Amino acid sequence: MRFWRTLFQPLGRFHYKKIQVMITLSFMFITIITVLLVSVMLYNKFSKSSEENTFLNMGQIIDQVNLNLEFYVSGMKDIFEVVEESIGNSSQLTGNQLESRLNTILNTREDLVSIALFTKSGELVLNTPSIGMRPNSRLPRQGWFEAAQEHPGLLQFSAPHIQNVFKSPYRWVVSMSKEISYLDHRIKKKGILAVDINFRTIDELSKRVSLGKKGYVYIIDGLGNIVYHPQQQLIYAGLKYENLEPVLNYSFGSYMDDSTGEERIITIKTVQPTGWKVVGVTYADEIMTTKKDINAFMLWFLLVMLGIVLIVSVFVSYRIAKPLRNLERSVKKVEDGDFATIIDVSGAYEVEQLSKRFNLMIRRIRELMDQIILEQEAKRKGELEVLQAQINPHFLYNTLNSVTRMAEMGRKEEVVTTITSLSKFFRISLSKGNNIISVQDELEHVRNYLIIQKIRFKNKFQYEIEAQDEALNCMTLKLILQPLVENAIHHGIEMMVDEGFIGIYSWIEDECLFIRVTDNGVGMSEEVLRGVLTGRSRQESGSGVGVRNVHERISLYYGTPYGLTFESELEEGTTVTVRLPIISKPEIHGNGGQP
Amino acid sequence: MKIKKLILRLSVMIILFISAGFCSSSIDLRAEEESVTLVSMIVKMDHGDYWKTIKMGAEVAAKEYNVKLDFMAPANENDYKGQIALMEQSIHNGTDAIILSASDYMALAQVTDQASYYGIPVLSMDAEVASAKVKSYIGANNYEAGQKAAERLVELTGTEGEIGIINFVKGARNADQREEGFMDYIARFPDLKIADIEYCGSDERLADTLTRTMIHEFPNIKGIVALNAEASIGAGKAIDELGYGGKTKLITFDNPPEMMEKLQEGTVQAMVVQNPYSNGYLAVSSAVQLAEGNSIPERFDTGTKLIDLDNMLWPDNQKLLFPFIK
Repeated sequence: MRFWRTLFQPLGRFHYKKIQVMITLSFMFITIITVLLVSVMLYNKFSKSSEENTFLNMGQIIDQVNLNLEFYVSGMKDIFEVVEESIGNSSQLTGNQLESRLNTILNTREDLVSIALFTKSGELVLNTPSIGMRPNSRLPRQGWFEAAQEHPGLLQFSAPHIQNVFKSPYRWVVSMSKEISYLDHRIKKKGILAVDINFRTIDELSKRVSLGKKGYVYIIDGLGNIVYHPQQQLIYAGLKYENLEPVLNYSFGSYMDDSTGEERIITIKTVQPTGWKVVGVTYADEIMTTKKDINAFMLWFLLVMLGIVLIVSVFVSYRIAKPLRNLERSVKKVEDGDFATIIDVSGAYEVEQLSKRFNLMIRRIRELMDQIILEQEAKRKGELEVLQAQINPHFLYNTLNSVTRMAEMGRKEEVVTTITSLSKFFRISLSKGNNIISVQDELEHVRNYLIIQKIRFKNKFQYEIEAQDEALNCMTLKLILQPLVENAIHHGIEMMVDEGFIGIYSWIEDECLFIRVTDNGVGMSEEVLRGVLTGRSRQESGSGVGVRNVHERISLYYGTPYGLTFESELEEGTTVTVRLPIISKPEIHGNGGQP
Repeated sequence: MKIKKLILRLSVMIILFISAGFCSSSIDLRAEEESVTLVSMIVKMDHGDYWKTIKMGAEVAAKEYNVKLDFMAPANENDYKGQIALMEQSIHNGTDAIILSASDYMALAQVTDQASYYGIPVLSMDAEVASAKVKSYIGANNYEAGQKAAERLVELTGTEGEIGIINFVKGARNADQREEGFMDYIARFPDLKIADIEYCGSDERLADTLTRTMIHEFPNIKGIVALNAEASIGAGKAIDELGYGGKTKLITFDNPPEMMEKLQEGTVQAMVVQNPYSNGYLAVSSAVQLAEGNSIPERFDTGTKLIDLDNMLWPDNQKLLFPFIK
């Protein structure tokens, strides 16, 4: 059901650039062209060869009939000669010998009707079979008799006529007649010898000949009398008509005749000794029928082929286009923002692969988007915290408190140092709003911090800052050391009894910039150490800019390989190493440094 | 699953192809099929050369037009009741067309109307029937044929004396029309008397007897006309045997072979020849046209010819007199 609905769907939403439409149309186009070409070629070939065959067959058939007739006629001529010889050689006409001889000859051939010898005035001399003459037959005026007299010594073939000489049934015969000499009582006389033959053999020879379904063969004599015609009776009765005039003008060859209203091909051959003509009639529309048959067949073939191709191509194109359409629909969903879409398209291998890859891509995009969201969130938080760190009111309050105390105690120099350092500290903290500052500034920043803290903590610790020159020129995120140092003071040194030490070192190693903050404070237990970076043990005191935050900021800005590493041992101290990429000064533009 | 689907699709395609093949072959079958037309031909008598010739013509047409021809006739030409029965039988059999040569002009009218009522077209051949439902008449103009015979007889006998008529069936339209034509012509010559009119019922022997009686009764009879083949054969035989050949002029109808001999021997002076072969052929071909619903002319005059010794061997007349080759 669904298949059929989609099969006819293109009709509803027709768009010629659709794959389905394109495939269907090109299938159809190719098929039509091919079938048409093949049809036209076959048609031409078929019709041409069928026409040629018709003419060839016709010629051959007519030739065959002609040959048979000539053979037949020459046989008859031979018989006539034998009869003539026997009569000419016999001295006694009335004798039994001649009669039996003639009888024998007559009996050899079924189609011999009679043998008769007449005087030149038309009186019967002898005949076989010996039957009495019919009265009023007007023998001397019959055509065969006259012809023999007119052409002495030449054998004459008469037109078909009714034998009207003897008292035998009226029959259609062809007479062979000739003026011959015979001996009557030793007197040489001239007479007319007539041998009558009936049509049976000619009939048999011609009847079996067929030219196509309707075509036929007929025979006429030199004057246009019909010797044989398959519809002879109808023609005699005047119900049918054969256009003989043009036939008489040709002795051989072919022409087209449309006297009967139908186009017919007439082929003519002349039978030699008699002047008879064998005429073959073929109906032109029979050749056309073959053509029509081929035409009809071709038409059906074309239609059926088209039907099949239409169905097959719609089917095939549907199979091809359907997964693509599904794919398109899915992509559109994604386009609309639904990243949860999973494409489950089956179909051609390519389409399956495409959908698989598409699924992978969507998943990756989804992951990336999640990641971006998280990162953005962290960044914002970090920035906020940096902002807080810049102001750091707790530190400011403590420091100002110390200054007040020092001022009260009249420690003028210390007050000046503290205020100067605080001023520097805040200048670098703000640093015109840049996020990225040079390592030198960062170290300066932490140095000022340490100066203030050292005064505040009454020289409870010593510090040392050392850096390679190359390291000083590198860039770093600002305010990453201060939290670490703060951490070291508050959690490492503050609780110490002895004097503390904080060391800050910066160097370049393995294409990375390292900054290390080390203290000799109380250290951390492994448990605490593990919690530092995951943020589980958040310092309850301090400025609030956590160590974890430093680590996150670094990894957000520079990527995962960068960040903090902690080494700590209880009662021994803690070392925090900051690992940063080497970014030299000129590459920095604004605060958007890329990892 | 996939293989199953594939097999399903393949089989659908194969079915399509096969059905395409059947489509093309069924066209050929349709072309071969041709309807056979049933035609009943009811004539006056089941024997006689004249009817045989008609049957031959009809059979040729039947073959040509793919007709199943049912040729029927009573044994006797007088038997119009037999013809009515045959008509009823044909109507009952549901034939496509009937060709009727009515033995009686009036008696067969009702059954002809009945056939027409059942939607079977009726054609009359040779002899008409008194029904307006008849579609067409195929045959000779019998009145004219009678006049032709009379004209020749008058030429032979002169304009005074006695002449006799051997007719065949009184009431048969063609017999009546021939007689009428003959009489009308003779009526121009007041001195020429019709001595006797006899009806032989298309019985050669009866015609023979009737002729003998006529000659006995009217020994000076100058001429006799016989109005159909059987009457002619009988009359010819009687005149020949009585030795009146040439003395009593004889005009006959139709051309049975024995009458041709009589013509050559001089017993018969002339014969009026119809075209039975054409009648049979044209009747069947017209019946086919009617059965197919085409209209045909109301009359086919197949013509008559007066044949005598002088013109009997003209090639055209040979063909008319002897339409058969064997």
